[in-house]
Amino acid sequence: MTSVAKTMDRPVTSSRASVRNDLVAYAFMAPYLVLFILFLLLPAIVGIYASFTKWGIIGEPQWVGLRNYDKLINSEIFIESLQNTLYFVILAAIPLIVLGFLLALLVHQKLRFRNIARAIVFLPHVVSVAAVGIIFQWILERSSGLLNYYLGVLGVNPPINWLGEPESAMPAIAITTIWWTVNGNMIIYLAGLQDIPETLYESARIDGASGWQLTRHITIPMLLPISAFVIPLTVIACWRVFGQVFVMTRGGPQGATFTVAQFIYETAFVRFNMGLASAAGVILMLITLGFTVVQLRAMKVI
Amino acid sequence: MSQSWRNDSLYRDGSLNPGRLALYAILFFVAIVWGVPFIWMFVTSIKPDTEVFRYPPTWWPEQPTLEFYTRLFESFPMLAWFRNSLIVAVITTSLTLVTNVLAGYPLARMRFRGRRIILLIILSTFLLPGEILLVPLFLGMVNFKLANTYFSIAVPAAANAFGVFLMTQFFLTIPVELEEAGRLDGCSRLGLLWRIFIPLSGPAIATVAIFTFVRSWNDFFWPLVISNTDATRTVPVGLAIFVGRGLSMRFGVIMASAAAATIPAVIFFLMLQRYFVRGISTTGLRG
Repeated sequence: MTSVAKTMDRPVTSSRASVRNDLVAYAFMAPYLVLFILFLLLPAIVGIYASFTKWGIIGEPQWVGLRNYDKLINSEIFIESLQNTLYFVILAAIPLIVLGFLLALLVHQKLRFRNIARAIVFLPHVVSVAAVGIIFQWILERSSGLLNYYLGVLGVNPPINWLGEPESAMPAIAITTIWWTVNGNMIIYLAGLQDIPETLYESARIDGASGWQLTRHITIPMLLPISAFVIPLTVIACWRVFGQVFVMTRGGPQGATFTVAQFIYETAFVRFNMGLASAAGVILMLITLGFTVVQLRAMKVI
Repeated sequence: MSQSWRNDSLYRDGSLNPGRLALYAILFFVAIVWGVPFIWMFVTSIKPDTEVFRYPPTWWPEQPTLEFYTRLFESFPMLAWFRNSLIVAVITTSLTLVTNVLAGYPLARMRFRGRRIILLIILSTFLLPGEILLVPLFLGMVNFKLANTYFSIAVPAAANAFGVFLMTQFFLTIPVELEEAGRLDGCSRLGLLWRIFIPLSGPAIATVAIFTFVRSWNDFFWPLVISNTDATRTVPVGLAIFVGRGLSMRFGVIMASAAAATIPAVIFFLMLQRYFVRGISTTGLRG
């Protein structure tokens, strides 16, 4: 992202910026801008507007001010969905980031078969959430599932009813998610590792730095700019968790995996309460935006 | 072979290096953890009913069968779902390619009023959780009688800014001299794009195409919302609604369905791996 920002002010080829030139530029961008405005910008604005209205699937929206937000704040189900999603974010986002980094470090080492290992970890990237959900329901199955069998071999008894008990359902969804999506962060960190000049390590080694010191004082600081966007993108993706829950638990057992996205889905497309669903969408947006700002501040990016 | 093994740092100083050995052990463990679910899915899909629940688990059926794959196509309109997924992915991908290549050119190579603000707005949508868009898009499509059409599933997905960003980034790297030479020859802007930029951008264009295709193929939330007939339903939605829920049916059929949806994607990936890697590492976006 930085390279685009840096070149923004660079004078580009033709020196005379004229009206004609502007028109040509906009003509090139027009097809995309039409898509962007119709299917991204406009829906985003309408979505915010809708959050202040009562709006069914038919009929006109009625302005109701902050009533939807008031309802949400007082809704036990919505607050629980927020808590559940926050719990999921903690369970999944931290491993996704840390493990993504560690896996990148691993496949960055000059090891034989590292390309094969990298490809295997990357494979789930192309698998749809429906198939992932199906595979993991079977692996996590209580009496004949693979995971419980091998945990049993390691001495974990009795078998865990992963998706059947409120305590273990969210961790099970998190495990599935980590298996499915950690590869994205791995690849981003790997690209970052490959960009660190080898000479930095060499001179530090001459000064007698140990492997851990190299990681601590060169690798991690050099990857900070990358973490500055890996962290918010991962956290936003976790806040939006939907498909895994929809396929594997449908929000159960006893609402333990009922997430904000599930709330929005049911409110909008099962109960057709469009205003309330939009307000929940706005709250989700504010939470992720707030997190991103706080995190970028903490990392002194902004 | 044995000579190069000797040169590996595993054997440096003539003896096994315990640190390297530990790294290989971890690498092996990682490959197992990420590989086994695929193998397990496939093995289950060819196990007869009598063997599926065998405990401890067996890694190859005594009597492998493909019966569930034929039954799968009899019980579900899998072929229709595949056809729909393919049509939707082709529409989204072609629309994305044409619009993004066109938009990337001025953003990278021209100076015009509003460039900075347009780039900022486009980039900021990376941080926008898409759930806010669902209700307005849904109501809009219903209002214009477009629900349950390929248009409604495929076209909104082409508004994603990932490809514009990637094309802009790539066009920035093309040497100015080439562009100037083209201008001296009297090329128009469109001619420059067509004769100089596009031929030099093969890898970037391929990355956008493959990435968009896979994202579209696996897209879930929006297709779930906007299509509710088998005439337009895509593979992930069909699987999630009819097959995967609660695993109440026969396991062979369910695993065969997951495998049937997964195997083409895996082959596709193995052929085009490097483009995925480039797509993710340039933009940090998942498909």
